[in-house]
Amino acid sequence: MSGSSNVGMHVDHDLHDDPEKLAEFESRVADGHLIEHDDWMPDAYRKGMLKMAEHHANSEIIGALPEGEWITRAPSLRRKLALTAKVQDEVGHGQMLYRVSQDLGKSRDDMLRDLITGKTKYHNVFNYPAPTWGDIAMIQWLIDGAAIMNQKTLADGAFGPYVRTMKRINMEEAFHFKSGEDMVLTLMSGTPRQKKMAQDAFDRWWYPSLMFFGPPDKPDAENLPPMKWRMKTVKNDELRQRFVDRFAPAALDLGFVINVVEKDADGLVVAKRPDEQLRQDETTGHYAFTEPDWEEFYRVIRGGGPCNRQRLALRRLSYEQGQWVRRAILQGQAGLPPAA
Amino acid sequence: MPAARAATEDTAMTELDDATRHALCDLLLAIADDKLMLGHRNSDWTGLGPILEEDIAFSSIAQDEIAHAQALYEFVGRLAGTTADALAFGRSPDAYRCAAVVERSDDNDWAIALARQLFCDHLDQLRLQRLSNSSYAPIAALARRLAAEEQVHVEHADGWVRRLGSGTDESRQRMQAALDTLAPLSASLLEAVADQATLEANGVYPPLDPPMTATWCAKLTTLVDDAGLHLACPESAPNTPGGRRGVHTPEFPSILDEMCEVYRIEPDAAW
Ligand SMILES: [Fe+2]
Ligand SMILES: [Fe+2]
Repeated sequence: MSGSSNVGMHVDHDLHDDPEKLAEFESRVADGHLIEHDDWMPDAYRKGMLKMAEHHANSEIIGALPEGEWITRAPSLRRKLALTAKVQDEVGHGQMLYRVSQDLGKSRDDMLRDLITGKTKYHNVFNYPAPTWGDIAMIQWLIDGAAIMNQKTLADGAFGPYVRTMKRINMEEAFHFKSGEDMVLTLMSGTPRQKKMAQDAFDRWWYPSLMFFGPPDKPDAENLPPMKWRMKTVKNDELRQRFVDRFAPAALDLGFVINVVEKDADGLVVAKRPDEQLRQDETTGHYAFTEPDWEEFYRVIRGGGPCNRQRLALRRLSYEQGQWVRRAILQGQAGLPPAA
Repeated sequence: MPAARAATEDTAMTELDDATRHALCDLLLAIADDKLMLGHRNSDWTGLGPILEEDIAFSSIAQDEIAHAQALYEFVGRLAGTTADALAFGRSPDAYRCAAVVERSDDNDWAIALARQLFCDHLDQLRLQRLSNSSYAPIAALARRLAAEEQVHVEHADGWVRRLGSGTDESRQRMQAALDTLAPLSASLLEAVADQATLEANGVYPPLDPPMTATWCAKLTTLVDDAGLHLACPESAPNTPGGRRGVHTPEFPSILDEMCEVYRIEPDAAW
């Protein structure tokens, strides 16, 4: 899952860049060439790509936590196996993306430390709670679905190592999405209790899914470095619209009600009403919808979300309790076994 | 499952007499329940492992264990007229046949998790070897299929014991402490199921020569010595009835409560 659209990138031109080299770089990017590690690139581009890949890697391994909590409670052998494999994939994505980041000059240990000390961030969406099995279905359907939409456009970017990693990751995300779709369908064709579980989870995850693509774009987004340098290829608002156009009719088809909700400090829904703005425009085909609460979005990003502390605490525990193992590998004779 | 394999494993389901069928179901449940609990415990490390690469490897093994349990439950399900999920999630605690060692929490200690895996993998390999030679062809076919993956688990666990034994003072101490803690508990793995003698006599679960317990201890002791650590390997099962007779550790019901939490909301529904 994951994706890095809400990384909050402030990438800008550096006055010290050699103008000739910069012009050549920009024309290569504009012509659709891939930039590799050892190519010349503006310093701000190298830093921005590192920040983006690191944020994405962090998101993968933090993203493993809410779903990981449900592995021990999965309701059938098939789901237990699929969920374990899914969370394992996310860890694998983290590993691949840390490798891209390492090649841009930051050690893995520094990245893991910066993550648990809060120096770097991870995707906001993982600061929401997953209190039922229905949330696991919803995460795999809506959030992995959103991640695929976003990452497909990131696979169109200009930085070769990141683009190749996105392509690999997207193939696995397609499986997660399929399994999420199957879980949602199973719940919605199940007993009244199962349907209610799914609707309640849908209410919790619809708005985090819309926020997944990041805040509204700046007016001149296309001309700013992140898009001009193809670190990102589609605007946040456009991705959000694509998501609603794809998922709103699918949700309605499955029997969901799309609600505008109010949540308490724990991220649980305390009030809801059907989204009255939600309707398809007959001429454009696009769905109108009520915008997310962007104040909530910024509050969660600043650390005030329902699960920020819990996620970081678990990540820290894992880091600390694994330290003696890593030391044994570094100082011992035998190397690391190859990953399965 | 490919058609050819299903055919061999399905063949002659009716050939067994009642006593043998009951004993075989009990034996297969003991192996499957061990694997389910082990996989269940270990899958909980997914996303929290000490090194990303090992997180992935350990998770693969957890998935193998659960998949093995599933295959064995399906087999028992065909003999006993039930489903794999009903066996995995729908029994009362005293109907499970798992050993005390797989019920033990690792308390977030990687060395304990690894030691637990080590004792179990080595025994699984031998149990599957015995079943591979079974006079009952369908179970022999299934056991041979599972044994190939078990070899990978054994190599993984052995590799880590060596690595931690030759790592730092701390890793040596922690691995040693884990072996010391789990060795007495691992005796629980050796308890026979009810009427196991019947299966040994009629070749459905043929004995090994030298006997399984001796082979298990010899392999474990050689490995642990080689890693610069030591092991007091149990040479027989405890004298009192344990998991194989449905007598479990006090924490077992709460493990089941967690594992079956969602299943029990609607036991008859599809999930
Ligand atoms: Fe995913
Ligand atoms: Fe992912």
